Amino acid sequence: MSSSFRSDMGTDPYDSVGDDRWIIASASDRGSSRGEIDSLLHGAGYRVRSTDLRHVAIGLEQLESTMVGDQCVASSAEAIHYNPSDLTAWVDSMLSELAPDPHLLRHPLSTAAANTWADPTQQRPSLHRLENHHQHRNVPAVSLQSMDEEEDAAIRLVHLLVSCADSVQRGDSEMAGSLLDQTRLALARVNTGFGIGKVAGYFVDALCRRLYPPPPSATGGGGSAANLEILYHHFYEACPYIKFAHFTANQAILEAFQGHDRVHVVDFNLMHGLQWPALIQALALRPGGPPLLRLTGIGAPSPDGRDALREVGLRLAELARSVQVRFAFRGVAATRLEHVRPWMFQVAPGEAVAVNTVLQLHRLLGDRASPEGGDAAAAEPIDTVLEWIVGLKPKIVTVVEQEADHNKPSFLDRFTEALFYYSTMFDSLEGGRVGGSHRGGQQQQQTVVAAVAEAYLQREMCNIVCCEGAARVERHEPLARWRDRLGRAGLRAVHLGSNAFKQASMLLTLFSGEGYCVEEVAGCLTLGWHSRPLISASAWRADDADDASPPRDHQTLVLQDHSSSITSGSNNVVDGDDHLHQHSVMRSHMGSSDRINDTGSGSSCSRV
Amino acid sequence: MAGSNEVNANECRMVVPLNTWVLISNFKLAYNMLRRPDGTFDRHLAEFLDRKVPANAAPVNGVVSFDILIDRTNNLLARIYRPAPPNPSPATTPLADFHRPPSPDPFPVIIFFHGGSFAHSSPNTAIYDSLCRRFVSLCGAVVISVDYRRSPEYRYPCAYDDGWAALKWASTEPWLHGGKDAKLRVFLCGDSSGGNIAHHVAVRAAESGIEVSGNILLNPMFGGNHRTESEKRLDGKYFVTIQDRDWYWKAYLPEGADRDHPACNPFGPNGVPLEELPFTKSLVIVAGLDLVQDWQLAYADGLKTAGKDVKLVYREQATIGFYLLPNTDHFYEVMEEIKHFVTSNL
Repeated sequence: MSSSFRSDMGTDPYDSVGDDRWIIASASDRGSSRGEIDSLLHGAGYRVRSTDLRHVAIGLEQLESTMVGDQCVASSAEAIHYNPSDLTAWVDSMLSELAPDPHLLRHPLSTAAANTWADPTQQRPSLHRLENHHQHRNVPAVSLQSMDEEEDAAIRLVHLLVSCADSVQRGDSEMAGSLLDQTRLALARVNTGFGIGKVAGYFVDALCRRLYPPPPSATGGGGSAANLEILYHHFYEACPYIKFAHFTANQAILEAFQGHDRVHVVDFNLMHGLQWPALIQALALRPGGPPLLRLTGIGAPSPDGRDALREVGLRLAELARSVQVRFAFRGVAATRLEHVRPWMFQVAPGEAVAVNTVLQLHRLLGDRASPEGGDAAAAEPIDTVLEWIVGLKPKIVTVVEQEADHNKPSFLDRFTEALFYYSTMFDSLEGGRVGGSHRGGQQQQQTVVAAVAEAYLQREMCNIVCCEGAARVERHEPLARWRDRLGRAGLRAVHLGSNAFKQASMLLTLFSGEGYCVEEVAGCLTLGWHSRPLISASAWRADDADDASPPRDHQTLVLQDHSSSITSGSNNVVDGDDHLHQHSVMRSHMGSSDRINDTGSGSSCSRV
Repeated sequence: MAGSNEVNANECRMVVPLNTWVLISNFKLAYNMLRRPDGTFDRHLAEFLDRKVPANAAPVNGVVSFDILIDRTNNLLARIYRPAPPNPSPATTPLADFHRPPSPDPFPVIIFFHGGSFAHSSPNTAIYDSLCRRFVSLCGAVVISVDYRRSPEYRYPCAYDDGWAALKWASTEPWLHGGKDAKLRVFLCGDSSGGNIAHHVAVRAAESGIEVSGNILLNPMFGGNHRTESEKRLDGKYFVTIQDRDWYWKAYLPEGADRDHPACNPFGPNGVPLEELPFTKSLVIVAGLDLVQDWQLAYADGLKTAGKDVKLVYREQATIGFYLLPNTDHFYEVMEEIKHFVTSNL
């Protein structure tokens, strides 16, 4: 089972970025700080301004009056809840949903009655200042094997790995080498079948690679885009993280597209387009009929003359045709995201645009400046890209990212974080599989899928540990930092509601591993293993999205697993010419003027 | 209930501070939405609405927490809280330091069972995370908050089994055995349904020879078939109704059982006599505005009659959940009682 901690990080101010900044209002200040958040309720997970307390209390009483007996449950089953932490908004929205006509309230409170709450001077000053313990979100779970020896060996192994990373950071390669040898010995005494033992092996290899990098020619073949797609696909199958990402993002996109009859989705990483069949189906079924859907898929160029993007587009077009959704596809091939320009999407006026980025934005980050220097002042690629995303005036931007801080300035910090993050990840692969009740043959297939999924993760881990500079693309940052960044770029958070949460939870019940958990945090959803969040999904819109968005609808996505239909889909691809004629499948291609060439290093790694 | 609502509301508002009233009313209302008349429970909505906090290996007010898996077969998780270890040297990891005793002297280990009437909440629910952290600071304790299986998905005796598993686990952890005699000084503590669980786990401990230093029961959840005077008098007045109590018992007890089942009514007609068992000493805290107080008082009496050591702390003006926010006198008084009980039974 995973064992994970972050090293104590009191010094980095970025670690104290919480998803909600608030001002501590101690009771002794209560008279002067009426506008501030009630600190005691904040400790309980609720943000209510002291000045709003009475309003909320009255609202709660009114809600109770409208909810009587069985009617209470029945009517509330229809309601969708947003941001339960914000009691003021929650109460108001529940009231408007369940009691639209205030005159129907049974026991309207007189203002006199409304003021009869207990005298606040009865409250004692709080002896404990509540600190912002919503910081440090990404501290993962720990578990211990029951046998002392096993436990000691695991602890020792972690200790060795971290010490080794520390020597690497200090440039003491002799010490590092010697520690690596000791680590290999320690590895022999630990169960490498699961938990820290399994992932430690990969980290030992990664450290080794960093200390003694192989010559450039040796790294050539492994990084091809086609291989990566295979790994990704197995990762998709082996655990629910990507499915969760797709599903949650689609729900937000669907809601944002309400009332629009021309919609355009920009997908930052098309791969096999696994995300889109469900959306196409949902659009087909929406009341009022489907819109015209355009999909622009960004992806890596195909090396061997194939046009992978186009092939995916054709399959999606076929599906769209079968459910009578007018559909058009465009592919944009680029080796690096920052080379993409918005004109390549050819967004038409009047289109509702959705930008979908699943595990992509972190690739645009650079080195974080040291804490003393504050955030990097120079424009990073992320800023440029966020700027043009906002410029597209999207109705919705869906962002899915790993919930971890693998972009800290200190190598040792990154290493330790990654060690615990990936050991939890690997645990979930193991746990999700073992709990299954499949027959023998399927069990074997599951083993293969899980093993390849591990290879996918190993690539990420290796990148974090071995690479620096432009080659290090796995620069994961936690949700709290993304919130800040996206907020500064001019995006405002859109709360994912209880509907998305419920459907995500139901998705999890399809997986037999009981350890997965979905959580709601300030409008975003996270999926994790045993209370350690591993992936987060959030939705955003431009600050000044002018047209009033249509009222949120309760339409929900039909939950379907389309992965198998895609992989077997190659048999179903209709003749290309037929398509071009019927669906104007557009393809921006790849005249050499469009092809983005990259002189960068791809998968080769440089040593620090 | 309809006609007297306004009277009820007025009385209730007078005894609790405004923010406490908002907190508990919010729970009440949300919980109303989750209980379905057919006995099923909207678990997804419950998890969505529940405010949770992650574990935190960095010290906050001198307390750190981390989650562990106690029992893989049942996915039994617990969150452990302990005093922050002294500043580690750069070469050690927090993981190693967290598994050392917090002190060379005897220290209490509190196994905590959160409340929620067997159906709601988890160790990572914010209110319970706060409470456990407070216990660490109060008593210098290591607190183990158990993520027991909840009803209606898991009925009796699952919660007790999980509590028992946690106690057995604690008894095998070397770092929890403190003092020169390397002894586990364990207290079983819980509020509402957690108090009920603490009692039953203590019975099992007494039957199996594991020594428990003390039980701390905060507004423990007990009941029985007949309606007591306090239930009738306080029904619907202070956030809780007889109807919801009935629902939760129905959801927890085995199908077909009634409220005189020993899980619900340990000193009732079907109770297990404790006279011969080395059952531990108890601190029972009863809120004067809790409608099940007659059952709680009867529980304390039952212990006394069986010759067991019990201290009863009764707070007239306290409602359910008074121990969740530090804004009343009874909050601080009760915390002192708990501290005294723990430190004098180490």
